[in-house]
Amino acid sequence: MKKDSIVYVVVFTFVVCAAFVFFLALANEATKDRVAANRLFAERAAVLDAFGIEYSAPPEALEKYERFVKDQPVPEGAGAEKAYRYEADGKTFFAARVTGAGLWGSISIILGADAGVERLTGLQIVAQNETPGLGGRIDEAWFRGQFRGERIGPEGIRVATGAESRGTGDPDPDNGLLDGVSGASRTSQSMEAIVNGGIRALRAIAGGAR
Amino acid sequence: MSGKAGKILWDNLWTNNPIFIQILGICSTLAVTNSVRNTLIMTVGVSLSTAFSSWTLSAMQATIPRKVRMIVQVLVISFYVIIIDIILRAYLPEVSKQLGPYVGLIITNCIIMGRAEAFAAANKPVLSFWDGLTSGLGYMAVLVAIAVVREILGFGTLLGFRVMPAGFEPWTIMIMAPSAFFLVAFVMWWAKTVQARAAAKAAAAKSAPRPVPAKA
Repeated sequence: MKKDSIVYVVVFTFVVCAAFVFFLALANEATKDRVAANRLFAERAAVLDAFGIEYSAPPEALEKYERFVKDQPVPEGAGAEKAYRYEADGKTFFAARVTGAGLWGSISIILGADAGVERLTGLQIVAQNETPGLGGRIDEAWFRGQFRGERIGPEGIRVATGAESRGTGDPDPDNGLLDGVSGASRTSQSMEAIVNGGIRALRAIAGGAR
Repeated sequence: MSGKAGKILWDNLWTNNPIFIQILGICSTLAVTNSVRNTLIMTVGVSLSTAFSSWTLSAMQATIPRKVRMIVQVLVISFYVIIIDIILRAYLPEVSKQLGPYVGLIITNCIIMGRAEAFAAANKPVLSFWDGLTSGLGYMAVLVAIAVVREILGFGTLLGFRVMPAGFEPWTIMIMAPSAFFLVAFVMWWAKTVQARAAAKAAAAKSAPRPVPAKA
């Protein structure tokens, strides 16, 4: 059969596409359990991080999650996709998963706070599509770490941008102010809006739990 | 074979480098070179995708109709990039999370299709694999050099470790894409100058009058 005949072109294209898609499906099938396990670990580790619970290895993280963290109902209109509760030393803490718009796509976070929603216990980024090396740096430890123990003001928190931000992390946990990422003002502003949305959700969740 | 392989290596690293001679793959050069770690992962991904795509397309070349050759090239390139993405998600989830959409964007890297069209379509599979791999190395060499400068000046770190003194004020421009434009231009300037000098020297040596042997 001639290589340029219409029948050959159609049959060749069909067979080649089917063959490559088959191998992709095979690779996906072979790794899907591992990918699902990675996803579950990432989600649970993020909740532990948001509550400030420390762990050293994945099995320990999963075990601590099972032992300490409980699901918490989300009141209607709270703006959270999921909520969690953690009790330790007679104190209750809440965490909420919220999603908002970043520069390039959605950013999903898990944000934890004490029962009075006066101080944050931590923040973890679950999913983001910001520019690697720029906005993507919101996932770095120095940025996330500043949220741990930060006092929440009446209006929530504020993320400094431009000259106000040193880009290294705000050391004062009582000013409700955090450093934004240098060169990524839009992503930093998005984080401020998403975290403040998370704080409103946590207030509704904590209010509903009382 | 080994002489040809050596020439391909030299061409892809220097005389026909994908970045400063062919001016391909510039988008990713601007995007990922503010961090050496991301640059290394991206360039390894591009090298492997180029090598395996060129190998596969070269092995299939006798059967591919001309009308659909580009569709087949994109299919094969996408296949390898998705395989890399699946491997990262399954075995290196942290790296996969950090690189985000950039792994998928390897598909659009012009170097991969450029080598498939310019080399793999007319050469044997093993040589095409070597050409793809060395093209990736040429790309890697330039990007890593740019990333080292950008990360040191932009963050004061190298591979995440602090290398600049505590009082160093980071150059914010180095984190942003425009700085890569300036640095790529400097690399092109340097490479073209060195190549032009070498060519001028070779031409002068060729045209210089040969010493006449003394008569006995």
